[in-house]
Amino acid sequence: MHIIEVDSISKKYELSANKGAVSIKNGLKNLLTKEEKEIFWAVNDVSFALNRGDKLGIVGSNGAGKSTLLKILSKITKPTSGEIHVRGKVASLLEVGTGFHPELTGRENIFLNGAILGMSKHEIKSQFDEIVDFAGEQISRFLDTPVKRYSSGMYVRLGFAISAHLNPEILIVDEVLAVGDADFQKKSLGKMREVAANDKTILFVSHNLTAVANLCNKTLHLEKGRVKQFGETGEVLSNYMAALQTNRLEQSYDSFDAAPGSQQIRLKKATLIPELLEGQTYLDIRNKINISIEFWNTEPNQQLNISLHLFASTGECVFNVGTPPGNFGIGLVQANLEIPGHFLNDGTYLISFMVVKDKSIVLYNFEEVFNFEIADFREDTTWYGKWPGYVRPVFPFPIRQLSDTI
Amino acid sequence: MNLIQQKIKEISSDWELLVILAKRDISVRYKQTILGLSWAIVKPVATMLVFLFAYKQVAKIQDLSGYPIQLVIFSGILFWNYFANSLQAISNSILVNSNLISKVYFPRLIICFSSIAVSLVDFVVGLVVYLILALSLHQSISPYIVLLPLALLITSLFALGFGLIFASFSVKYRDVQQIIPLIVQYGFFATPIVYTTKQLSEKSWFLYYNILNPLAGLVEMFRACLISQYDLLTVQNLSISIIASILVFILGIIIFDKREDSFVDYL
Repeated sequence: MHIIEVDSISKKYELSANKGAVSIKNGLKNLLTKEEKEIFWAVNDVSFALNRGDKLGIVGSNGAGKSTLLKILSKITKPTSGEIHVRGKVASLLEVGTGFHPELTGRENIFLNGAILGMSKHEIKSQFDEIVDFAGEQISRFLDTPVKRYSSGMYVRLGFAISAHLNPEILIVDEVLAVGDADFQKKSLGKMREVAANDKTILFVSHNLTAVANLCNKTLHLEKGRVKQFGETGEVLSNYMAALQTNRLEQSYDSFDAAPGSQQIRLKKATLIPELLEGQTYLDIRNKINISIEFWNTEPNQQLNISLHLFASTGECVFNVGTPPGNFGIGLVQANLEIPGHFLNDGTYLISFMVVKDKSIVLYNFEEVFNFEIADFREDTTWYGKWPGYVRPVFPFPIRQLSDTI
Repeated sequence: MNLIQQKIKEISSDWELLVILAKRDISVRYKQTILGLSWAIVKPVATMLVFLFAYKQVAKIQDLSGYPIQLVIFSGILFWNYFANSLQAISNSILVNSNLISKVYFPRLIICFSSIAVSLVDFVVGLVVYLILALSLHQSISPYIVLLPLALLITSLFALGFGLIFASFSVKYRDVQQIIPLIVQYGFFATPIVYTTKQLSEKSWFLYYNILNPLAGLVEMFRACLISQYDLLTVQNLSISIIASILVFILGIIIFDKREDSFVDYL
């Protein structure tokens, strides 16, 4: 017996010049003229079924229909067609602190938000102390202060603390984990894990693939409103990541004339090849990356070297390495760079490089030659927040007990 | 009828949420204003004083109906404020709470019903003022005051009916919101709020007037509950008003039910 059955649901939106609410005048005009409307299927023919205790991760790029699907599943909006059968009490967390009123105190908002999320007064009362405790010491001191005086961090902590004490059979969660400071994220993910351990059914939308990989046994990959793949998490995620990494990992030019560069030098070929482990389909932090650059040189007897910059997606330069200078004649020159595994952190990176003459004259700067993404990989961890930093080296860092007296 | 039953069931199953939303509205209202509860006293008293001034000093109107003019005006204003404030609150309830409606599912009617609470509290405060006023004028209180809750219920049905219709349409057509203040403004004078039906009852069109404006019967119903020996409420205009309230309420529920599924798409 499935606890949730979703039978080919679709949701259509009509995009007209005036989206959403309209004035009566325009409403009448639309009725009379029957203007052509652009039709947009936010969710298109989606079907899946879950058993009790399943944890479903929903992944997909922005605009893939994840949020619309959650809204349909939590009954906030109706599907245009298709049917949903849900057996059990559903609670949905599409944001933290839904319905918090800024003028009301923390205490009042706990009861308000709890009721909105479907808790009975009795349930809230019996869990009140736990909620306050979970939210942290700071909140307990400001319990009778209007929440408009709270910092955004406190606001989020209180909101999550209430949500964490919901006790439905089916829980629908949207990206709530992407909030709060690292400490609180750790705490809330721990709570999610605790919830995941029992037989609750969870539907969880997230961009945090590490969290999905660790919390969910099943994953639904949406693409442009359609199901790309639904199945075991490991399998779906590995295909999803592989599809995501359609990065520019090779550039090559057949002829000198068509190639980018200057009069003197032109790029023939540049490749970025990760050394994947057995069974791996996409690049993560463990993998070694080999970069190879070939260029044509048209002048004899030149002292040349390559200087390569690796930038983070924020534009900061993570490092700059250069080849030793060498003397080259007319023809093809090649350079190889090896970036070791366990060095770069997960994230999106850009690589640019320049060919330099006589250690000082830049002959040409090849900008943004590679744009690639490194996925996260973690084992034996209870924390899935973003690992900070651009590099994530594994330095020797032993720890031991020195003595057993104080 | 099935629909009404189903809706009543929906609301009663989420009664706790309705109560807590009502509490929210009430405490927010009284927290935001320095004078708090006293606004509920100042507003009707000031309105009454303005009309007393107009009648006695400007227009020199002596006796309207034989009942104390202060009580006639004040009871009318009490009724009108309850009706008008409820109507506005219900009509705006969906838009005002759009953040809730687009993030959580609960029976949408709850938010409309709970939005009456503030007007109800104001009414009770005003009622206390009325009783003090009546005693200070050495007037006895009508024994029919025990029927006042029933009168409130009937008025609420009427306000809900119209409010639900406005709420349903204002989500898609935002200019509906502009219409309500006009209705409230003109309705105040088109309804016997600062006068009574006595002057109208001899007119040949009085019956049609009652049918066109069921509020006339409703306000006289309130006065019959509040003013001792008040005899301007007839069985005819009472039954017209009750029937109209029920019909408008049912219509409101039907329209709301038809449109509530699409609210989120326009918020």
